[in-house]
Amino acid sequence: MNPLLRWFHQLGSPPYFDRFAARWAPWAYGLGLLVMAWGLYGALFVVPADYQQGNSFRILYIHVPSAWMSMAVFGLMAVYAAIALVWRIKLCEILAMACAPIGAGFTLITLLTGAIWGKPMWGTWWDWDPRLTTELILLFLYLGVIGLYNAIDDRRAAARAAGFLAIVGVVLLPVIRYSVVWWNSLHQGQTIRLLGESTMDASMIQPLIWMIIGTKLWFIGALLMRARADNLRRESGKAWVAGLAAAADGPKP
Amino acid sequence: MNDYTDYVIAAYAVFFVVLGWDFVSTRLQIRRELRNARMRVARAAARTPSNPQSTSELSR
Repeated sequence: MNPLLRWFHQLGSPPYFDRFAARWAPWAYGLGLLVMAWGLYGALFVVPADYQQGNSFRILYIHVPSAWMSMAVFGLMAVYAAIALVWRIKLCEILAMACAPIGAGFTLITLLTGAIWGKPMWGTWWDWDPRLTTELILLFLYLGVIGLYNAIDDRRAAARAAGFLAIVGVVLLPVIRYSVVWWNSLHQGQTIRLLGESTMDASMIQPLIWMIIGTKLWFIGALLMRARADNLRRESGKAWVAGLAAAADGPKP
Repeated sequence: MNDYTDYVIAAYAVFFVVLGWDFVSTRLQIRRELRNARMRVARAAARTPSNPQSTSELSR
């Protein structure tokens, strides 16, 4: 068997996944923190203040990566949920449901930092603008997935129901992405392009790239840890969890 | 930083509080699951008839 394929099969085993997540999550968290620290240093101390917005534009360095993560995590959750629904892979159910609280966190950051930036720049904390409204709906969708998953006792049935909501909700992502194009929006249009020329000055982009990479690494750590917690919860009656719990408790005097 | 500093500080505080909450809540959840597993083992051990403590309780 192809080694990569074999590794994927092994990863589907709950004890194997637990060991994998416990081993690699701290690395992802640590790397994520380091990269974000470097990005934040650039964002707060290296990049000059914007000639129109002053220092308030520095909020962009946490707002934009969080906004991208809020949508990317939802897309990933829908992919995991689709795989789980079609092939009934338990690990994919766990990973899909682990995405929801992390994505909700990033969406909350996006909305709150956007509001904080909006107050001095737009003169208001909130406006029922298409981009803001669709991002708020995204938060409600995340909360719906979390709520549905916790409302049903049977973990597998709960993951299927919540996964279905995630798949249906994915239609919102292009609406969020193109809301500034389709409607007359108070929110500014796309200024940063991964492919093609950005309208933002090159000297200001580098910390943003570090922050985008850092938040992704942090997300990998958070996903592994949340999936590990759910995996332990589902497998709580199994001998390997009891062994792990006894080992974590340490030797008794 | 001389202008809008309060807004910048507030926004970064939100960022770190939410990420910090995510980190801490996950740690606590894993700890809770492992504690539940230990308690489950302890309960199972207490129910086992070979356990001297449980037999003494029954014989009383």
